[in-house]
Amino acid sequence: MDCVTTLKILVIGESGVGKSSIILAFTTGDYNASFPATIGVDYKCKVMEVNGLKVKLGIWDTAGQERYRTLTNSFYRDAHGAILVYDVSEPKSLAKLNEWVEELQVYSTKKNIVCLVVGNKIDKDRVVTRQAGQAFAQKHRMLFIESSAKTQEGINLAFEELVQKIIETPGLWESTGSSSNIRITNEERRQQEQSSCYDYTCSI
Amino acid sequence: MDDVLDEVVPSEDLQKFEKVYHEQLHQGRVTPKAQFEYAWCLVRSKYAADIRKGILLLKDLFNSHAEGKRDYLFYLAIGNARIKEYNKALHYVKAFLEIEPANQQVLSLERQINKRMEKEGMIGIAQEIAFGLSNERFIWRSLSSVEKAKKGVVCLV
Ligand SMILES: Nc1nc2c(ncn2[C@@H]2O[C@H](COP(=O)(O)OP(=O)(O)O)[C@@H](O)[C@H]2O)c(=O)[nH]1
Ligand SMILES: [Mg+2]
Repeated sequence: MDCVTTLKILVIGESGVGKSSIILAFTTGDYNASFPATIGVDYKCKVMEVNGLKVKLGIWDTAGQERYRTLTNSFYRDAHGAILVYDVSEPKSLAKLNEWVEELQVYSTKKNIVCLVVGNKIDKDRVVTRQAGQAFAQKHRMLFIESSAKTQEGINLAFEELVQKIIETPGLWESTGSSSNIRITNEERRQQEQSSCYDYTCSI
Repeated sequence: MDDVLDEVVPSEDLQKFEKVYHEQLHQGRVTPKAQFEYAWCLVRSKYAADIRKGILLLKDLFNSHAEGKRDYLFYLAIGNARIKEYNKALHYVKAFLEIEPANQQVLSLERQINKRMEKEGMIGIAQEIAFGLSNERFIWRSLSSVEKAKKGVVCLV
């Protein structure tokens, strides 16, 4: 039941669009109506199944505050996927995604990284049409989905689509080939433990 | 990597922000930003000496620069947890939660610290038992056969 691989997923976008809420909704199913601003870089782990394969996701969340802006270069390194979030009730947050796309292009090291645009907070009165979000995603050749961290709508689907696409992209990810080796090492360790036990009884 | 306590700073980041900090230090004025960036890298270093230095820099910021207090508290907790000063780490976590009781990020850090304390506590106990056993074995070996017979094989446990 080992995971075939570990994928690094980044969640980016302006402050307040719901990045941390989306991650919380996905990893625990919870929602917090007054989510405090994220400190620095946060990290969450979740195992999910795609195409019958178990995949471990390492999900990275950023603060987006000025204090951390210069520190995020290494955050992009070796990422397999990125989720670019905007708020459908805040048109500025979609326009601002352009800057995040640029940053992604500059810093991401895998050139076929899979990107997904998420229009969040669809439970609120929308100002940005679905078409506008879709057009943005299409222009940058990214996947697109709308969601609400509050009602959970689209949350699982977003991660499923992204991970599915990553898994289907050849050369983007490596399988944890050493998993069988790990089993052998464990086996060896167990044998060693047994033999030291044996030693002990022997000495008596 | 399973949680934030496992994250290790890339060495080029540490070097980059170390350079900026020392340049400013040389010129006689360090901005809170440069000090924080350097400290943030230090507390995520794999070397305890770096982490301790980062903790000092963060404490200094905490006392001199009100604006970033929650960030400083959070990374003081992380730094202390990483050098296994769990009680100090929990002290900072508690101070943070007094201001923001429902902060998910900090609550999850608290869980990770408790988990590590528990795990390392167990390992500690296991080591003690192992040490006890090997001691026992040593004593047992040095006993004469008569004494062994008297004692029986009870000390196997
Ligand atoms: N109505 C509504 N509010 C949301 C949704 N997602 C997040 N929020 C709220 O928006 C605020 C900012 O969310 P947060 O996750 O901290 O945004 P971040 O800065 O991008 O991480 C919080 O008060 C959330 O409760 C959503 O889907 N619907
Ligand atoms: Mg956040």
